[in-house]
Amino acid sequence: MTTQFDQIYHGLSPEVGKLRIAQGGMAWRGEEANQTVAIPSDEMKWAQWIRVARNYQLRLGLGSKDKKTADRKRETFDGFQRDDHDKLAHLLKQYFSIVLETKEVSVKGWNWGMTDFQGQDLAFLISNKTAFELPLNKVANSNIAGRTEVSLEFPAPADKKPGRGAPDELTEIRFYVPGTHTKEARGSDA
Amino acid sequence: GLAGKEGKTWKRFQSYKGEAGLPREVETVRIFVDRKAQTIIFPIHGFAVPFHINTIKNVSKSDEGDFTYLRVNFQTPGQLAGKKEDTPFEDPDATFIRSVTYRSSDQHRFDSISKQITDLKKEVNKREQQKKEMAD
Repeated sequence: MTTQFDQIYHGLSPEVGKLRIAQGGMAWRGEEANQTVAIPSDEMKWAQWIRVARNYQLRLGLGSKDKKTADRKRETFDGFQRDDHDKLAHLLKQYFSIVLETKEVSVKGWNWGMTDFQGQDLAFLISNKTAFELPLNKVANSNIAGRTEVSLEFPAPADKKPGRGAPDELTEIRFYVPGTHTKEARGSDA
Repeated sequence: GLAGKEGKTWKRFQSYKGEAGLPREVETVRIFVDRKAQTIIFPIHGFAVPFHINTIKNVSKSDEGDFTYLRVNFQTPGQLAGKKEDTPFEDPDATFIRSVTYRSSDQHRFDSISKQITDLKKEVNKREQQKKEMAD
């Protein structure tokens, strides 16, 4: 039996597609380029459910059974609705024996928190909840000014003019890091 | 004593109570001004990241070739902001986001976003000022 989810995005791509889940694994197929991303069941290691801009994201940790070739790769699929959670959790459990963990996000609207290196991402946490993550492999340049300011630059994709309705592109983010001492994780939540 | 030494105090604010509060518009993965929540939501690598207007200092815009750049500066400690220097912070030792810069080929839209943020900031400042005057 196959279960299909419509209006699902792969990674950060704007292309919408369908995600199908069955005993053997899952596969996403884009509606425009007709490209397929297939993940066999034995490559799935963990799964997370997290609120993103395009509703909810299914995040899958991948790795092969052979430890030598195990990489920290992962795939993400955006566009799930809140109501999809239970169905998805059930499918992952039933077919792949994986628990769908919920990763909490912060929507407090604060610009202060703490940074945390999580795998290949730099996560920004507010009250110990994820506000966003920056993929470090996409950082084109970084600068440190006056010991307390760090800037990360992201390359603008190609020179070609994006169409109307294209997403806004983050090109730079600057952090103010007053303490050079190591801080323990703490929430400023009362 | 404490009397007469009326320093500014930290006032708590929060954009949303939970993720269900995020407006539908974040789906477009573009900057969105949510006036009702006094919040600007920025797309950051797929996340919808709200920033309350109180965290925002100012906005600047520049045009370069086919593109417009929007830079949003946030309130952080350690900025020589003259009279603002006594602005209190809840956790001055935290890591702060000091600015974000965005690029768009839609100059008109970034003009509009810039204006919306500036207007919201003015409006909130004015309201604060009025509250203060009433309290005096």
